[in-house]
Amino acid sequence: MTIRFVLNGEPVEMDARPDERFVDLLRDRLGLPGAKVGCGIGRCGSCTVIIDDVAMNGCLLPAYKLEGRRITTVEGLGSLPEGRAVILAFSEGNAFQCGYCAPGFTVAMTALLMREDVPDEADIREALGGHVCRCTGYHSILRAAADAAVRCQKDD
Amino acid sequence: MKKSLVAPQIWHPEEVSEAWSLLKRFGKAARVLAGGTAVQLDWAAGAPVPEHWIDLNRLDDLRGVTELADGGIWIGALTSLSALRHGALIGKKLPMLCDAVGRVGSAGIRNLATLGGNVASGSGCIIPALLALDAEVELFTAKGLVRRNLRALLSSSLTPMEGVVLVAIVVPARLPAKTCFEKMGLRRAFTPSVINAAAGLWFDGAGNVVKARLAIGGGITPPQRLSAAEHSLIGIPLSALDWTSLKRDMLGEMRVPSDAFRSAEYRRNVAANAIIAGLGGGVALDAVAGKASAHCFASIPAFVPVPYSEVEVSRAAMSERWRMRPDVTAKVEGAFTYLTDIRKPDMLVGRVLRAGYPHARILGIDTSEAEALPGVHAVVTHRDVKGLNGYGIVIPDQPAFCADKVRYVGDAVAAIAAESEEIAERALALIRVDYEVLPIVDDAERALAPDAPLVHESGNLLADLGLERGKVDEAFARAAHIVEDVYVTPRQMHAFMETEGGYAEPTPEGGLLVCVAGQHGYRDRMQLARILDVDEECIRIVSSPSGGAFGGKDELTVQPALALLALKAGRPVRLQLDRWESVLAGTKRQPMRIRMRTACDAEGYLIAQEVDAIADGGAYASLGASVVETALEHVTGAYRIPNVRSRGRLAYTNNGFGGAFRGFGCNEMLFAVESQIGRLAEKAGLDPVSFRVRNLRQPGDMGYLGQVVAPSDRGRETLAAAAASDLWARERGVSADGRKVIGVGLAVALQGSGLGSAIGDSGAARLSLAADGKIEAAFGAEEIGQGVLALIQESVARVLGCERDDVRPVIGDTAKTVDSGSTTASRMTYVVWRSASETGPELSAKLLAAAAKEMGKQSEELAIGAGGIYDARRNVPDVPLLSFAALAQSLGEAERPSAECGFAFPISHGTVEGNARFLHCHSAVLARVAVDRVTGMVEVLDLDQHTAAGPVMDVANYSGQIEGGGVQGLGFTLTEDTLIEGGTFTSRNFDSYMVPMIADAPANMRVFAMEELDAGDPYGPRGVGELGISAVSPAVAAAVADAVGIWVVEAPFSPEKILIRTGGMSAPAE
Repeated sequence: MTIRFVLNGEPVEMDARPDERFVDLLRDRLGLPGAKVGCGIGRCGSCTVIIDDVAMNGCLLPAYKLEGRRITTVEGLGSLPEGRAVILAFSEGNAFQCGYCAPGFTVAMTALLMREDVPDEADIREALGGHVCRCTGYHSILRAAADAAVRCQKDD
Repeated sequence: MKKSLVAPQIWHPEEVSEAWSLLKRFGKAARVLAGGTAVQLDWAAGAPVPEHWIDLNRLDDLRGVTELADGGIWIGALTSLSALRHGALIGKKLPMLCDAVGRVGSAGIRNLATLGGNVASGSGCIIPALLALDAEVELFTAKGLVRRNLRALLSSSLTPMEGVVLVAIVVPARLPAKTCFEKMGLRRAFTPSVINAAAGLWFDGAGNVVKARLAIGGGITPPQRLSAAEHSLIGIPLSALDWTSLKRDMLGEMRVPSDAFRSAEYRRNVAANAIIAGLGGGVALDAVAGKASAHCFASIPAFVPVPYSEVEVSRAAMSERWRMRPDVTAKVEGAFTYLTDIRKPDMLVGRVLRAGYPHARILGIDTSEAEALPGVHAVVTHRDVKGLNGYGIVIPDQPAFCADKVRYVGDAVAAIAAESEEIAERALALIRVDYEVLPIVDDAERALAPDAPLVHESGNLLADLGLERGKVDEAFARAAHIVEDVYVTPRQMHAFMETEGGYAEPTPEGGLLVCVAGQHGYRDRMQLARILDVDEECIRIVSSPSGGAFGGKDELTVQPALALLALKAGRPVRLQLDRWESVLAGTKRQPMRIRMRTACDAEGYLIAQEVDAIADGGAYASLGASVVETALEHVTGAYRIPNVRSRGRLAYTNNGFGGAFRGFGCNEMLFAVESQIGRLAEKAGLDPVSFRVRNLRQPGDMGYLGQVVAPSDRGRETLAAAAASDLWARERGVSADGRKVIGVGLAVALQGSGLGSAIGDSGAARLSLAADGKIEAAFGAEEIGQGVLALIQESVARVLGCERDDVRPVIGDTAKTVDSGSTTASRMTYVVWRSASETGPELSAKLLAAAAKEMGKQSEELAIGAGGIYDARRNVPDVPLLSFAALAQSLGEAERPSAECGFAFPISHGTVEGNARFLHCHSAVLARVAVDRVTGMVEVLDLDQHTAAGPVMDVANYSGQIEGGGVQGLGFTLTEDTLIEGGTFTSRNFDSYMVPMIADAPANMRVFAMEELDAGDPYGPRGVGELGISAVSPAVAAAVADAVGIWVVEAPFSPEKILIRTGGMSAPAE
């Protein structure tokens, strides 16, 4: 089927099988390998993308669901003020180690800041609670996420 | 999502009636999809994918929440769970439902998943909550729109949703005055349901119950109302309720199944406990509080002044030393390229055919049909292996491709390179392999019985190691206290986020490039050259960066398959295991059973230790024997024990295969040793600190294997720091609400680094001034997340006196580096620091000489600083007189300075009885836990690690290793085990293997370090890659013992066993 959507601000029209996973389209056909596949069943969050302002697992999105959607991947976060705040805070805080989970966390945290102006720790824990990080034990991420929330307010 | 061979037909009905008609038309060949999250799990697990998908998302009328005229609340079936979770009306009117929704999936999944999907699945986590609210459903059926009571509907048929479209859920106006909901899982959040329980109670004016709804469901438990128990509540106030008889009633009528994860008994009990606790009945259990307080030791003596100051290793406490990792921004931006991210136009896709049988003889392999499939470019089997068909770091007994038999389900039998995933998948199915199934051996002890099936012709005993010293029997005979038990450790999975994979391609020069993340590129090259029967120089290995390793990429993984495919196809081939194949094929931590008997005298001095350990090595040797050897190196932990007898055996079985994993036997053994110490302290009437103080090794003592060890023993100091911690004074005992019991536990670790004295272990590096003026630091090291790039920059910059940014690390590439040894065994910190110390001064001198010549000055007048060469007498840092770049430009390639080094990793000399480590680091770990009396689950509130490993080279690296290792240790202790039955894995993915999530990490974690080394200690910083996991399990065990008075000896800790021992459920009848 032919699907049309807006990806990181650019219109995309492509042929795809309707059951093709969005994360595979990104990685194998659209040249955007930022989203990672850690489990393929929605249990690690590494493939998270923003669809119409909310975070979703790219491995659970079949192509037919993309029609007409506005999609932001990790590669497009720099165009969002929330995304820039998260990138800065996660970088300066050395939030990650191997980094394979980093795009998913970054996207999810950006989506949270788009929804909540002043997220508290519980909001952050809930928004990031579906993401596996095997390296850090999560605290470096939580510290940096709290910093991102503060930065985002300052930037307003 | 698992794709079927044929693309499904997608239907987008615009009306509910149209959806219903489609469903009627296609019957079982169709499936209604809303969020599609749950059904995809079923498909991934092997359920058939239907031909017709009826997507409901255009039915906007089925979305939203409204208050009806009668006060009821109508929730459209397509309403997403996150809309419910964050919606004002539900939050205000139905907080219990809001809570229940929040316990389903994750935030990302709740954005996709719908309430209708949860209910229509028939097993959704929210159903018990809806039953407790006495909810109704609106359905579109042959009769049009109808409303049914949810309970009546669910009990009307086994497939109540077949042939109908769920339109809405309606919560009636009259809400229960008291509600509760609890989801019990395998971990604290984002978990499969073990069981969910909910209750709703309605009262009359006098406070008597007039209506009750008690419900269970979730996961494998069919939704059920507990009618008899509900009836027993009617007409009385809660204050008059006999909770014990209510529990009996509920247990009596629950119909609950068992599975490999939790028993039916456990599920029933925690559901009943949760309802009672939720309704205010407290924990109607045997009194536990008394036991806890009996074991709480009132205070911990501060026994010695701490001569070395401790710093908290954090950005806040060490802000002036905080540096950004050079790779972190690219990682956060998604711009960092992993080896599995590479795509090229002519690249083929590789797949491996796995055995599927845990033990079978191969009678024949026919690949002709697969080879004939258009789009297939190469099929390889054992027949394509020209060299040694085997690999293995110690014994190369693992075939690249099996020839005569398979020994575990993940054994590689063949591989394919094709033009697409689909073609590769089809081709795999066309390979015919005839097997004769053989009897399996799936238990290490049974493997050593004389009549056990042989995994290898050489016999199932892979290693039998041991040591005896002193007069062990005599010591036990005069002991005042003896503790004996059997400790069990799990088949922990590395669960690195980037599964095994990468690509390979033939080079124009006739060689081969293999880009697969590993932990020692040069050894990978040696093993691969041996398989291909080519010179090592023909192969270039790029082995970094890696999306996590933890020991699981130490052995070869997909390199043999990729290499053979790329050579045969003559094209680049990529291949990455999906998570299920990674579980199936990848290495695991070897489970151990450790029988331990430990004795002390009346004063609490340790006098004897006897250890008999047996490990399940699985089908191949890998590093298994070395893991057992390392475990045995730690049988006395950090203590002096004069009389020791130890034995460790490793058996071949058909249970996957075991090998290296962070800790490498040390943390397994310390779980047993430190638990024994804690229990002996109790018996001797001493607190856990005082008992340890009198038994700790002393500075200058020989190592356990009789070896001389490096100075800077900080056993006493780290213990003193832990003893002085404020954690001891925090809340302990029964929590205010009575539900939890809180305890604090201590354990200490002595962790070695390096490969040991019995194996060659060497390091090397090369520093040079590159053409662009960067100081290139070439190491055969891998960036596996630990931060070796930052470490290299810091180490070199410190020695040269320049900035980190002046240094460009070059790693993980056999074409560009020198062999620095493996990135394992906590050894690379030392290797990098030592290399910088050895090469730095030489490079420095050469740089200054070259600069002096260029500038017409004397070397002595110049000094190296940020970005280049300065006047040695300058007072303030400024612009360099000559930048590195300008210096490089002024020199020909041959004139640009460089310096190389090669050295042996420090090992022990003297009489050594085995493979002994020379360098060690120390930790004293405190865990504060809460044991849930409803579920028996352990929550870790605080985890503090007081460490001593020499100078902290990088603050983020150090704290990251200790925190990350700590949480991996919590996984080992509480939730992680790769379940395997009859040689076949029950754990398949992250839905059935429980790595810790954010909610499972401790609420608070602190890392402390003592950086100072003894005067004259020349060995610099010790690596801490493993220290963070070393003593976590026994600290948690001690904290549980402090809380509830029992020592748990099997990891992961069984909530069921804790619940039985703490009175929350009866022991099953024998």
